[in-house]
Amino acid sequence: MNPTSTNERKVIITGIGGQGIVFLTRLFSQTALDLGLGVVVSETHGMSQRGGSVISHLKINGSDAPLIQRGSADVMIAMDPGEAMQNLDFMRRGGTVFVNSAEGLHESLAPHLERLDIRVLNHPATATAVELGSPAAANIVLAGFVAAFFILGLPYENMIQTLKQISKKGSEKNLQAINAGFEAGQKINEEKLKHKGHEAHTGKEGNQVVSVSPS
Amino acid sequence: MYSMSELPMPTQLITGNEAIALGMVEQGCRVVTAYPGTPSSEILAGVIKYKKRLSRDVYTEWSVNEKVAFEVALAASWTGLRAAVAMKQVGLNVASDPLFSAAYTGVKGGFVIIPADDPGPHSSQTEQDSRLLALTAKVPVFDPSTPAEAREMIKDAFALSERYRIPVIVRPTTRLCHAVSPNEVDESAPDEKIPSVKFQKDPVHWTATPKLRFKLHTELNQKLSDITAEFSKSKYNETIDANINGAIGIIASGVAFHTAQQALTELGARVPMLKIGTPFPLPLSLIENFCASVKTVVVLEEPDTCIELQIADRNNVKGRLDGAVPNAGELTPEVMFSVLHKIFAHAGIQVNAAPEDNELSAFIKTLSLPVRRPRLCPGCSHRSAFYAMKRTFGPRAIYPGDIGCYTLGTNLRAVDTFVDMGASITMANGFFQANRLANDERVIMATIGDSTFLHSGIPPLINAVHTGARFVLLILDNHTTAMTGFQPTAANDYLADGSEAPRKVSIPDLVRACGVEYLKVTDPYEQEDFADILKDAQAHAQSPSGGVAVVIADRPCVLYDKEPILENPLPVIITEECDGCRFCTEAFECPALVLRADGSRVDIDYTICVDCGQCIDACHKGFIVPKIAEMVG
Repeated sequence: MNPTSTNERKVIITGIGGQGIVFLTRLFSQTALDLGLGVVVSETHGMSQRGGSVISHLKINGSDAPLIQRGSADVMIAMDPGEAMQNLDFMRRGGTVFVNSAEGLHESLAPHLERLDIRVLNHPATATAVELGSPAAANIVLAGFVAAFFILGLPYENMIQTLKQISKKGSEKNLQAINAGFEAGQKINEEKLKHKGHEAHTGKEGNQVVSVSPS
Repeated sequence: MYSMSELPMPTQLITGNEAIALGMVEQGCRVVTAYPGTPSSEILAGVIKYKKRLSRDVYTEWSVNEKVAFEVALAASWTGLRAAVAMKQVGLNVASDPLFSAAYTGVKGGFVIIPADDPGPHSSQTEQDSRLLALTAKVPVFDPSTPAEAREMIKDAFALSERYRIPVIVRPTTRLCHAVSPNEVDESAPDEKIPSVKFQKDPVHWTATPKLRFKLHTELNQKLSDITAEFSKSKYNETIDANINGAIGIIASGVAFHTAQQALTELGARVPMLKIGTPFPLPLSLIENFCASVKTVVVLEEPDTCIELQIADRNNVKGRLDGAVPNAGELTPEVMFSVLHKIFAHAGIQVNAAPEDNELSAFIKTLSLPVRRPRLCPGCSHRSAFYAMKRTFGPRAIYPGDIGCYTLGTNLRAVDTFVDMGASITMANGFFQANRLANDERVIMATIGDSTFLHSGIPPLINAVHTGARFVLLILDNHTTAMTGFQPTAANDYLADGSEAPRKVSIPDLVRACGVEYLKVTDPYEQEDFADILKDAQAHAQSPSGGVAVVIADRPCVLYDKEPILENPLPVIITEECDGCRFCTEAFECPALVLRADGSRVDIDYTICVDCGQCIDACHKGFIVPKIAEMVG
């Protein structure tokens, strides 16, 4: 029953209409497809696109059912912290939430996150994108940040390949954006490595990162 | 060196709607018509994309409505060409007249109808089940469970249609339409020659009189009986895990089949399943055998009951009819899990608990997170029109509305009713007559969009004019079918595939031709002038010689045509004096006007603001001002 024991990855990608959720979903799903992985995505269309909440369900090597059941998502990628919290109950025990935010999620959630062993990795992707002079590329910054942790089994190099393939205009800016996100993620990884040395010393184990290999 | 045929076919990620479109194009379908509506809108766009990529000669059109679309495609089928028509489920209501007739007359070239159902509903006025309409009209239905299966079913639907000379429905649902999955696309496959067919007169079918219609009805029944026998051997009706000797068995169709399988994995259970891909005519022998093989049968289908309804002996059958499955709504993974969990528990079978953490779910609700309801976009011309209308006629006036983006006028309390396409005008007509009898003199002001007006607004307008109704009709003309993704209307100068339209139809000319004597065309961005014209129109409607007064709010959708604002931007700021009174956020409700978390004031979200300057009028205290004025001051 432990989802990490298979190659399946259930991913919730969420945000607000206009934040580029469909593009973000495309970036991950096309990369997975090009790696020969199974892909099923469920997109939001219609009414909810008019400034409302947007949510995509992405299954890598998963079943043909289009939607992910609450309590079973391995990963969430959220362009908006409010939407991340709204959809937090999609997460399974031991899952990982990536969120576009400087502060992470509301502090009152901490006991629940700890109890359910849900890890939150946050990065202010919008601020980074604004700094780069391309505010619309915040979604791509977050994609780079996610790629740095390799939880989806999608190598960063492949993500870049896809980005070049599917983004028509401003590809140079987009590459800067994905790189900025990736470096921010790498920094956290490096710090964690140092920290992990300490943890190993004290006998504690950090949240395990399990890689997925193409089938 | 590979020859072309040895190269692996490129796999592309495409939506369910595109898979359906691809199926049509590669099966040699020559005429595809549609009227846009979620979740079906991307089907015709997909046909246009693939006819270009596969270099196929296919005639495509965004028809003026679904009845028109149906009949244009039907005529093509009667000549002998393969033809198809796509729409959302409620669109099939509009096309139900030709549907019922065509079931009797039959077809010649393969004729496939795609009505996309919307369990939920997510963006429809009903959760109606097109399979039930098919059952009533006596038309066979395929019920696909994945995009790839839908594509395969299109192929078999055309063949079935030609074999039995009968219209065939392939019925997808929202989750299938909007699912994205890998599909092999062979863009190098050469086009087959367009069959040299010609319409042949056939009075026995094409002009059947009532006496002949009776004969056609008996023929139709015979076709259905033959198709039932064929469907009992169809690959789309398949028993899975039949050897598992279970107390419980599942019959499922469409997307619900895969959602049920996923739920079984979560539950840690395996049971025999009968997957049904042809819910009508239903191969009852398969159903009866399956029902006899297990103690309890659960029927899982969306959005209503079609299979369950056709099972005569429901002694051991559970489903939407006996309440074991909710009798409305989508079978989401959570609903599916809970339904099956209860049934397993009742049968005394140990299964896993739901993975969802109830404590967390309950806690999230206490966070009072913002609920983001759909709103009109920043800069939307409908908002300006509604705001001026509400300021002029107040909350007492009666505002019949219609179907489109502007249905969101409910948020601004500018839409009091919506029923179906075109009903704003007929409801206003009816309110006028009822109010007259009740001595109710409230202002009646109906709103309808350009595409909806062309779809079903004209007969209602003729009716209102002819019977002397008095009200103001506001046509919100944003130059496109915005809600569903900017499909062209008959008033545009281009066609579905982007080519130039030989002629465009003028909405003002249509209005005048309906007998309307008062017509003004004006820009709702000029809010003061716009309000004056509305007042003038109301005065005309009530004058001794008055009638229906029509005002056309002429301003393109900001997403469709950014030019007018780019040419004439009016950036604004909110001054220090703003006291957070919330008038603008509630009465104007622009997503770019954001109340601070502490409620102290409103800020402009410049990442989404389009510099339309329309909110200047939304602060009656004058705290929203042009940026330039502030800089000068």
